[in-house]
Amino acid sequence: MSSLSDLFFEARIAAQNLADYVRGPSLRLGVTGLSRSGKTVFLTALIQHLTSAASPAMRLKKNPLPVFRVHAEGRLSGGHLEPQPDDAVPRFAFEDHISALTGPGGDIDARHWPESTRRISEFRLRLDFEAANKRRRPQSLTIDIVDYPGEWLLDLPLLGKTFGQWSRETLAASETPARLKIAADWRNFTLAQSPAGPADEEKARRAAELFTVYLRACRADDFGFSTLPPGRFLMPGDLEGSPALTFAPLAVEEGVSYEPGSFAAMMERRYESYKTHVVQPFFRDHFARIDRQIVLVDALAALNAGPAAVRDLETAITEVLMAFRTGKRSFLSALFRPRVDKILFAATKADHLHHESHDRLEAILRHLTARAILRAEDVGAAIDVIALASVRATREGRAGRGDQALEAVIGTPMAGEKIGADIFDGRTEAAIFPGELPLDPKAVFRDSAKSLTPEEMDYRFVRFRPPVATRNDAGAPLPLPHIRLDRALQFLIGDRLV
Amino acid sequence: MSADRKPRAFRLDEAETIESSGVPFIEMTPDPYEAEALAAADPEEQAVEVAQKRGVVAQTLISWGGLFWSAAGGLLSLAIGLWLTHLVDDLFARSLTFGVIGLVLAALAVIALLVMAGRELFGIARQRRIAELHIGFADARARDDTAKARKLIKELAALYAARPESARARAHLAELSQDIVDGRDLIDIAERTLIEALDREAQREIAQAAKRVSVVTTIAPRAFIDILFVAAQAIRLMRRIAEIYGGRPGFLGFLKLARSVGAHLTITAGMAAGDSLLQQAVGHGLAAKVSARLGEGVMNGLLTTRVGLSAMAVCRPMPFSTSRAPGVRDVAPFLFSAEK
Repeated sequence: MSSLSDLFFEARIAAQNLADYVRGPSLRLGVTGLSRSGKTVFLTALIQHLTSAASPAMRLKKNPLPVFRVHAEGRLSGGHLEPQPDDAVPRFAFEDHISALTGPGGDIDARHWPESTRRISEFRLRLDFEAANKRRRPQSLTIDIVDYPGEWLLDLPLLGKTFGQWSRETLAASETPARLKIAADWRNFTLAQSPAGPADEEKARRAAELFTVYLRACRADDFGFSTLPPGRFLMPGDLEGSPALTFAPLAVEEGVSYEPGSFAAMMERRYESYKTHVVQPFFRDHFARIDRQIVLVDALAALNAGPAAVRDLETAITEVLMAFRTGKRSFLSALFRPRVDKILFAATKADHLHHESHDRLEAILRHLTARAILRAEDVGAAIDVIALASVRATREGRAGRGDQALEAVIGTPMAGEKIGADIFDGRTEAAIFPGELPLDPKAVFRDSAKSLTPEEMDYRFVRFRPPVATRNDAGAPLPLPHIRLDRALQFLIGDRLV
Repeated sequence: MSADRKPRAFRLDEAETIESSGVPFIEMTPDPYEAEALAAADPEEQAVEVAQKRGVVAQTLISWGGLFWSAAGGLLSLAIGLWLTHLVDDLFARSLTFGVIGLVLAALAVIALLVMAGRELFGIARQRRIAELHIGFADARARDDTAKARKLIKELAALYAARPESARARAHLAELSQDIVDGRDLIDIAERTLIEALDREAQREIAQAAKRVSVVTTIAPRAFIDILFVAAQAIRLMRRIAEIYGGRPGFLGFLKLARSVGAHLTITAGMAAGDSLLQQAVGHGLAAKVSARLGEGVMNGLLTTRVGLSAMAVCRPMPFSTSRAPGVRDVAPFLFSAEK
């Protein structure tokens, strides 16, 4: 990227931000998470709680958000979904997600988790509240949030990589024993091509196809979250078949520049245009202007899959977070170059564990994101790590035989989930003890001295169905239970509501 | 260099397992940097804890002064006992009725004395428990320790069990203690719902006392009168604040409390030099220009406020964390507006 286009890129971000600043107090909340980490459910729960918290229907009920100060102090007077700022982006389908979670059309048996996100969507939430100082005048804060397929997030690290770098890294990643098998077709084809040979559209298409097949196979495998850019190969959106998506890594050598018209030069041009036309706009429109950030991490699924997946997850998170601008908020930065001054790392699906293990889960997440945390603290951003369940699907209890009782979680496992020989049908409730997390978080990483044997690292976090929502007299569902959603809200937006 | 001082290495796990003589042993030296990092806490919070240790939670009475007073007190009670026995004997010698009346009165006096002493001890123990709660909450909040926070919250609720106006907050806390709420958040909620109401009451008391003191100083005809009045108000204020936060200081308990407040005043005087001391000097200067008596009135009011704020810090069962500790200006703004 030339320095002129860099400058232009920055200028556009600054101009957009200045326009936002003039419009009134607003906050852009970045929700970051790889695919299947629970972004959509988090956003749905967030909207449901914030819009209904101050409604008359909830007035006599128990406050579901005791830690969220503005509401606990009775200063929150309303929350509304507002028309979003960008007309070109679809609206977040909040109503559809709620009806999926509570059962479409009031049919409780049909309740299910929302489908995985296939395209970008956004919403704006306005909170009305009264300031806590003496004047107590009514104020409002608008919060802009974007939901997007988690696969796309993997593209952000590409912004800083050249075609050569990316090619070498991707090829190296496919050499690990676990992946060599599924990568065989694509590797055989690619390694046979000479990068200096003439450009050939047919070969490019074939390489891209085989490469996509390999990426899909990786994702279907246990290594679900791996570093698999480019993300649009997995979730193409409306770009399918365009030249910007018809490229693949080649065995290019370091420091060699290929002649125009060669195969490598064509691939490189397409890689660059992928960055300019796909990654950059995505970054500019949705990530460059973020004030607060929540990073959702499905650590339990990685633990389920084993140490290699844990290590992969760590790399992916660290790389993604490198793309964000963190730092203390100042007047000038608020005007022109917003920075993320608070980052919350949340281990989602904490309801799969008894709350006595939450501290250990938090320790594991803290270890997993240690590099990202260190970097953010260095520049003065505030950090917190929590175990979160945006929607709590289980209750807690003790279960066991004889005099040996274990802390268990009780819920309805999804159909097809199994522990040992038991296969659940999705209707019966069960008490599940998922195994004990290690006291020392390092133990879940493969290359640490204290790592556990596969037998010791035997966790079975089964997936549960959404809880049955309680309904008010009119039959409308009340906000679903959660774990620490209020703490997350307090950390992320609480200080802007005083 | 002798043979046994050559460079070599000791393996940690070997040293731990083998315990015969001649085998290398390894002792860990405490890391001074680590200790320093652990000790570095909020200076205001440290001041409170030091002050509490000097007075309210001071464990021992064994000092030369204490020994002297105990011995002298013992002698005095022996003398009184002796005198009492003589008196009762004399009464019996005169008439049986007088003797019986005297004996009954003496017994009543002893029982009352015992009850008073019991109350005194109870008051001291209660004040100490509040101070221990304070230290415990600071620790549990720093470590986000849920189990400890739940235990402390239970004790805190028990402390205010006799106050109907806090019933709702206590019920709320009891309910949250069953829920998945982290230790730090639980403590913050307790502070917000239970303690902040008491803070407001304490601040009102301080403001009233400061107002009274400054008015009386300004209009009192004799300097002697305002010294007495300021002292009496300071004592009353300290007792009142201790009562608001759940303490029941008797005479000895009050002495301990006063020692803590004095220690806190001394420690924080230096820290407050930046704001209120300067204000005091400036304020005094300005007010003194208007009238010497008015200046003294403002000065005494400020002094009373400082005493009240120190008493608040020492008596409060948890450190200030969700809200900022109030300063002189927050509690008694009228002392400053009067100058203009």
